[in-house]
Amino acid sequence: MSLTYGAIGWNRQKKIYDLVLACGIVLYLSLFIGLGAWLNPGATVETLLIRGFGTCALLLLHIVLIIGPLCRIDARFLPLLYNRRHLGVTTFIMGLAHAGLAIFQFHALGDLNPFVSLLVSNTRFFSLPDFPFQQLGFGALVILFLMASTSHDFWLANLSAPVWKRLHMSVYAAYALLIAHVTLGVLQAETNPLLAAALGAGLASVISLHLVSGSREVRADSHSSLSSFDGAGEFVDVCSVDEIAEKRARIVTLAGERVAVFKYDGKISVLSNVCQHQNGPLGEGRIVDGCVTCPWHGFQYLPDSGASPPPFIERVPTFRVKVDGGRVLVNPRPLPPGTRVEPARIDANASG
Amino acid sequence: MNEYKPDEFYIGYLPHTPSGVGRRLRMIVTGLLVLTVLTAVVLVLGQQRLRTGIFEFGDVRTFEGLMLARPIPVLLVARPGITGKLPVHSRYFIVAPGKHGADDLVGVFHYRQVKLKGTLVYRDGITMIEVVPDSIEAMPSNETRAQLPSIVARERRLHGEQVLTGEIVDSKCYLGVMSPGEAKPHRDCAVRCISGGVPPMFVVRHQNGERTLLWLMDRDGASVGNAVLDLVAEPVEITGEVRQEGDELFLRSDPKTYRRAPQISQHKER
Repeated sequence: MSLTYGAIGWNRQKKIYDLVLACGIVLYLSLFIGLGAWLNPGATVETLLIRGFGTCALLLLHIVLIIGPLCRIDARFLPLLYNRRHLGVTTFIMGLAHAGLAIFQFHALGDLNPFVSLLVSNTRFFSLPDFPFQQLGFGALVILFLMASTSHDFWLANLSAPVWKRLHMSVYAAYALLIAHVTLGVLQAETNPLLAAALGAGLASVISLHLVSGSREVRADSHSSLSSFDGAGEFVDVCSVDEIAEKRARIVTLAGERVAVFKYDGKISVLSNVCQHQNGPLGEGRIVDGCVTCPWHGFQYLPDSGASPPPFIERVPTFRVKVDGGRVLVNPRPLPPGTRVEPARIDANASG
Repeated sequence: MNEYKPDEFYIGYLPHTPSGVGRRLRMIVTGLLVLTVLTAVVLVLGQQRLRTGIFEFGDVRTFEGLMLARPIPVLLVARPGITGKLPVHSRYFIVAPGKHGADDLVGVFHYRQVKLKGTLVYRDGITMIEVVPDSIEAMPSNETRAQLPSIVARERRLHGEQVLTGEIVDSKCYLGVMSPGEAKPHRDCAVRCISGGVPPMFVVRHQNGERTLLWLMDRDGASVGNAVLDLVAEPVEITGEVRQEGDELFLRSDPKTYRRAPQISQHKER
């Protein structure tokens, strides 16, 4: 967490992350270009660079896309998520290098402005094998640019998390455009099934991991969806106190919204499961130093108020809660973000 | 030893990673690096080997010969010694820098002996010069203009009407300025080059792997120019008259009769 905005919010973990990322990119490009020049001496340097940057961007985009579902399936991948934005920006930079070289190579020094040429040189939109694939790649690059340029907490705070999240979900549109760009472009000329198989494997891994993680979420939601009110019709019995581990939470779905029921220091507090930062799942976090801590980027909230400890200003909705006979009862109506609610005490037969 | 400890909780902004998480993370990163290496190797091995054309980029030479500016700019350079059955001239097709033809640069030198500077581009026996603009100067001629038509006519061979299936490329990139200078990924560049005046060329691929290269002309022997733009980098069938001049083949046909072919196949003759 940081109170002020810096151009790049580096810390030790992010530096290690970025160093490993840079080494991986250098390794990939060195191998691709070095091996390519050796095995394919007919290829020009520009061709090797265009192909190297393009395939590197596509590989990185696959990694960006599978990190999310991998973390939903197995929390051990969460450290990869922490600095995913740098991975995303790096993907854009690789794509930009690919596109910049390609636009210069194929469209510059001619009788038209290169960007006009990009749009008008091939207009066979109604032929699949001849479809203008370069426009597809350009469209993907524009989306990646919008994402990279807003990939900063300044924009996250000013656009609001839901808007920012929706904007960044367009990565899937960019991915679809890039798959079409490759399939209708280079794969129309390169006929080795190895290349189609590699692209297919990447696509299959992205789709299957999203399906698996999505189905797990749906299953979890259906199991945790509760609607049995108490006698007064105000509180819903969500679970037994014993079902919640100390300093951790149980996620339940009330009125269609996920809430996180935290147990800590003999108390129960309930807040929205959605972190204000990037909509991370607070209920999968822990109580650290007395604060609910998001597993994605470590944003923290006081469990009784849902407000970040001063001087931070993030707030999430809270819920009224009581414990009765060892059962946790939650009022499903969310209170305004940051509203303090007296935690329920875990005493035998106590009610909050 | 590498067992994950469920109680460990990773917080990115803290200086140190919990030991169990760190060990697991190192395994994941190692796996990603292996994936990186495998991807690079597979993608390089999967690419087809590119045929070699040569562009002597940065190597500017001086050439002297007889300029034919139309229909396709070409410099005829007399071959030294006794040529026997070989053509008496070597032909160097002329293009301008970038994606431009040389018509405007050489027009005033039609049928004149010239000296010029340029960079060689060559492949499969066809040679081209990317001329340095403003380097062309007229020279005293060793051959009279009157002799040339008879020399050209003497070296002309007619191969009759043929139906050929192949791909229209821009000659400059195909001969060596780009690699690959053909097929769909290069389509937009070829369109730009031909639109800029680079002469289009027809590549016929034979089943034995060999290729025949023909310069495209209309029925009257004029350049087809922009008329072929919509058909570049696609399988195309052309019916036309094949002529040979010196070592070069020309395919004369009305561009309106070009038609898309379902696939590039071995050409048939009739």
